[in-house]
Amino acid sequence: MNRRKLLRSLLLWALLSPIVVAILFPYAVMIITAFKAPTEVHNPTWWPSEWRWRNFPEMWQTSGFAPALANSLYVSGMTTLGAVIVSIPAAYALSRFRFLGRGAFSQFLLVSQMLSPIVLVIGLFRLVANLGMIDNLSTLVVIYAAFNIAFCVWMLQSYFSTISRDLEEAAWLEGAGRFRTLVVVFLPLAAPAIAVTAIFAFIGAWNEFVIALTMLRREENYTLPIRVFSLVAGRYTVDWQYVMAAAFAASVPVAALFAWLQRYLVRGLALGAVK
Amino acid sequence: MTRAFTPYILILPSFLLAAAIVLWPVEEIVSLATHDVNRFGMLRDFVGLANFRSLLADPDFWTSLWRTLIWTAGVVLGTLIVSMPIALILNEDFYGRGLARILIMLPWAVSLAMTAVVWRWALNGESGMLNSALRDLGLMDHNIQWLAQASTAFPMQILIGVLVSIPFTVTIFLGGLSSVPDDLYDAAAIEGAGRWDQFRLITFPLLRPFINIAFVLNTIYVFNSFPIIWATTQGGPANSTDILVTYLYKLGFRVGRLGDAAAVSLIMFAILLAFTILYVRLAMREEAAA
Repeated sequence: MNRRKLLRSLLLWALLSPIVVAILFPYAVMIITAFKAPTEVHNPTWWPSEWRWRNFPEMWQTSGFAPALANSLYVSGMTTLGAVIVSIPAAYALSRFRFLGRGAFSQFLLVSQMLSPIVLVIGLFRLVANLGMIDNLSTLVVIYAAFNIAFCVWMLQSYFSTISRDLEEAAWLEGAGRFRTLVVVFLPLAAPAIAVTAIFAFIGAWNEFVIALTMLRREENYTLPIRVFSLVAGRYTVDWQYVMAAAFAASVPVAALFAWLQRYLVRGLALGAVK
Repeated sequence: MTRAFTPYILILPSFLLAAAIVLWPVEEIVSLATHDVNRFGMLRDFVGLANFRSLLADPDFWTSLWRTLIWTAGVVLGTLIVSMPIALILNEDFYGRGLARILIMLPWAVSLAMTAVVWRWALNGESGMLNSALRDLGLMDHNIQWLAQASTAFPMQILIGVLVSIPFTVTIFLGGLSSVPDDLYDAAAIEGAGRWDQFRLITFPLLRPFINIAFVLNTIYVFNSFPIIWATTQGGPANSTDILVTYLYKLGFRVGRLGDAAAVSLIMFAILLAFTILYVRLAMREEAAA
């Protein structure tokens, strides 16, 4: 261990510590509350006198967590599949072809980011109501997939541009058609990028709030964020230990995935967005 | 199929899906905004700009608009100012950097609605852990009901907004920093430039495009941000923390003034569009001058 680097590390951690504390504060509150006994919840101590693991099975039974988990898995999984399937060809076109309207298509994607779900929520609700699709999980899938396209195309395009064309050109010379080349040569090379993009699309859908809040009516259709919110909103007595246990259980798997993959975001997002 | 059509066929599915979900509701909103609409969404007479007029006569609209500007400026500028030093630190080589990056990125991974619900609990007047933490540190001697009045709730919401916007912004900056070649710094060090000069003369100018994109995207996201305010105060007490998105949501889904709500949507979009165009112009002129 090198002494200079050690000193520098201590200094940099000291500089970072205020912001790290501020960022971790709510999650510390979440975890501590999730393990407190019901009698202790309203007592703002930092350390529970007893770490009460039973909160989790109790929360599972009383809060309707299981159906919400299944709904979130279904909606996020299908969203990811849909968004990635339509975004791959678009990103491939943007990274491999020069064509009239290429810039216009990029701008269209930027505009679709500006028109966020909340600005459109009145129109979306009307559209969905006219189609008789209110309170239907598939509605969420279609809407989420559409709003994820811009992000997926940007991410994929920035990775696709880093894949050398040489192999594809070699395959054409061997007489493989364009489509065959795409499937056999290009996609395997792009698989890691596609996987990373897919997981970020999944996380985005997993965490979405306003569209789910607007489109879902019956409790059995709630996704996790709406489920947790409904445990708090408009109630006189809130079982905070169960709310925090549910928030914790809903966040941990996704946060772990994210922690594992966040370094890929730095490259993909920054390069894709500036171009 | 000729070669020239290929790219169009490739972008077609994504274009159709995005256009259906983005442009079709826009058309719905325009027709709602220009018609007399009853509370069940039935269109009656075409009324031109009457909905806009009734909206502009509503004092709640103006206070929400003003608060939206404070909210957006506060969160975006706060985020940019805090994120720059964080990104510079995370770009250094030190022990535990991987862990530091993960901790700073954490809010991005958690649903905004859930983070806001947790904050709602942490800010609770009697049982909230923020009060007890601040008291333990000796920073105050009595409990504050943080969410009970706008004068404490709104600054807290801006603070939460900054904390959850940092990960995205730091990510963009780190991407920018990784594109700055190291030998530029070596050359500057040989010339005798100190750390501050290196930042001012090399890092900052090279980061300009990344700062620009972080500024524009953050402004769009924060201007449209709904979950933090909705899950902490729902715009209350007495609409005193409403921003345009929560005002719009209440008009549309609580009060049933659908025509007015649609008009708010269009005004919000016009503001965002004007901002983006203006900013892109300014940034391009700057680039041309540089």
